[in-house]
Amino acid sequence: MENKRILIANRGEIAIRIMNACDELGLDYVVVYTAEDSASLHVRKALEAKGPEAAYRICNYKDPNEIFSVADHSGADAIHPGYGFFSENFRFARRAALRNRPIVFIGPRWEVIRDLGSKINTKRIAKQLGIPVIPGSDEPLYSEIEAEVLAEKLFYRQKKQGIEKPSILVKASAGGGGMGIEEVNHLDTFRQIYRRIQNYAKRQFGDEGVLIEQCMRDYHHLEVQLLCSQHGEIVHFSTRNCTIQSTGRQKRVEAAPGFDPRSIGYPFDAAKVLEQMINYSIQLAEKVKYDNVGTWEWIVTRDGKPYLLEVNTRIQVENEISARISRIAGYDGPVNLIREQIRAALGEKLGFSQNDVTFSGTSIELRIVAEDVKRGFAPWCGKITTFSFPEKPWVRVYSHVPQDRPYEIPTEYDPNLALAIIWGMNTEQARERARDFLSQTVIRGEDSRGGPIVTNLSYLKKRLDDVLKF
Amino acid sequence: MDINLNDLLRQYKSHPYEDHHIDTPHTGVVSFRVKEGQEVKGPSGQWLHRPGTLLYILEREKNPKKITSSFTGKVASLRTELEGTFVQAGERLLTIQHKLNRDEIIDRILRKVLHIFRAPQRARYFFTPETVTFLEKETEKGLSVSTGDEIIIMSLMKRDTFLPYDGPPGIIYKVYFQQGDLVEQDAPLFGVCLPEKLPFVQKVIQRIRTEWDD
Repeated sequence: MENKRILIANRGEIAIRIMNACDELGLDYVVVYTAEDSASLHVRKALEAKGPEAAYRICNYKDPNEIFSVADHSGADAIHPGYGFFSENFRFARRAALRNRPIVFIGPRWEVIRDLGSKINTKRIAKQLGIPVIPGSDEPLYSEIEAEVLAEKLFYRQKKQGIEKPSILVKASAGGGGMGIEEVNHLDTFRQIYRRIQNYAKRQFGDEGVLIEQCMRDYHHLEVQLLCSQHGEIVHFSTRNCTIQSTGRQKRVEAAPGFDPRSIGYPFDAAKVLEQMINYSIQLAEKVKYDNVGTWEWIVTRDGKPYLLEVNTRIQVENEISARISRIAGYDGPVNLIREQIRAALGEKLGFSQNDVTFSGTSIELRIVAEDVKRGFAPWCGKITTFSFPEKPWVRVYSHVPQDRPYEIPTEYDPNLALAIIWGMNTEQARERARDFLSQTVIRGEDSRGGPIVTNLSYLKKRLDDVLKF
Repeated sequence: MDINLNDLLRQYKSHPYEDHHIDTPHTGVVSFRVKEGQEVKGPSGQWLHRPGTLLYILEREKNPKKITSSFTGKVASLRTELEGTFVQAGERLLTIQHKLNRDEIIDRILRKVLHIFRAPQRARYFFTPETVTFLEKETEKGLSVSTGDEIIIMSLMKRDTFLPYDGPPGIIYKVYFQQGDLVEQDAPLFGVCLPEKLPFVQKVIQRIRTEWDD
């Protein structure tokens, strides 16, 4: 594995975390950036650590030719896609594997990405294995009439079940990350929302396919973190709870483990539900011969029933809270799932089994975003002048925002500023520490009209009370 | 609307040039096809279907891309030291000094006369689907807009915002962007001509047509 060079095909904080993982493994790396990101910390860090040849300006993170052209020029052996961009693009992964000069794609095999990349296909495989999934369409709909018939059925079904306020979700089939989802509360408004989503999907993703499913109310959003190798090993790194999300269904506060039955009461047997989810996830991983890190997303309703939503065939933003609560026997340092991901992709054996992994405490991730929570989480644009946070042994902060000079937020990408990962011996301590961290964090800045910066710090603080509570 | 036409025209007459910088659109290996000082042509033909002079070839992933000139003019500051090397995206390769013609002078002046609706932020812009349909159908008449009409969608950080037109009512005289273009902050999106100003605008155009010889 030595002497390998990794091309980091992403930006912002994930690029920095991948650099750290490469450093831990003693691997060389290069980064790419666009003109808008010239001032980003990931570029500066790479240049400082590896010299002037370590950062390449490209026209677009989403142009595969740019990535491969830089990979060849820089002699990279593997590409780490991070999350977003090419991370779940099986065509990209396939091209990397099949080209004249093959390059390792740091992720699962392209066939796996293809099969699990579509929520619909995942649903189909899950159904075959008897894994519970949410009622709704199992293929993208392009016809308004078909969609309306199904919407009617779903409303009828909910009424029959005695659900007080039935509703359904309309999603852009090609969407992801919470973008392009709207709720329909009444059949009369269905057509209007359907058309809006269809237009949105066509503009943003170039595909107007739309999915419809029953809208689950009163549920928690959970995830199972798996790590698999090319040698058939499967190890889980417990669960996460990502219920606290913005109105656009983007995660804001996450916690691991997914439930904490030792200190919080649940209307169902939480430990049993977690075990069920993990077992179902492993069952699906075995079926498709999964071979890298992956996240199985679930929702759990108040009656304690888990439903599989989808599989994210990549590393996730919130992977590190799972790492924080985990220990691998015989390994001294902290667990780093990105490091394990790179090792697995380069063909190494995990070197440990499920029995070697133990869990302790609770970890919370806070996503600090420049957004106006009161105005529907509207993104804020402008320049950050001060950005400082407390340094404590129990918190780790990842950010691409430089702390020593002003930084203009590029408008091309999400206005995420930083991730804070906090650990506590138990949920109460983790929550207390998170509060402590937030009150000592200072962010100042102004927009183009001289107005002050808007962030979600106070929102995060308020929502901490709800962490892990059903 | 008091713009001094004489001053403007005099200014353009004394220096009727614009510099166009040619930067690489993406990474690749460069090989030049022009020399310093060479005259180059922009695209021509009824639909601008004949490409301009070949400036350089950018080869990426075994795929040579011919980069032709979008402007007519003279090649200046050619970076010959980059010949045969791998360049990053956005690298400046040369500059074309372009002499403005009559239509371009009209365009520059129109930007000063029309009520220009500008991009409030750097983002991607779209006309609403209804507006597109209308513009496609009725290119002759032009689309009249009134204050408060939501005809533009701004797509920023993957979020769509409908923008109301905030200027005086009039007719969309000129559109400066293509659907889905990334437009810089304050760059013009479209120009609206007030109905009472239409004669003035036509006068301006008429005057340049007669006074300017290419």
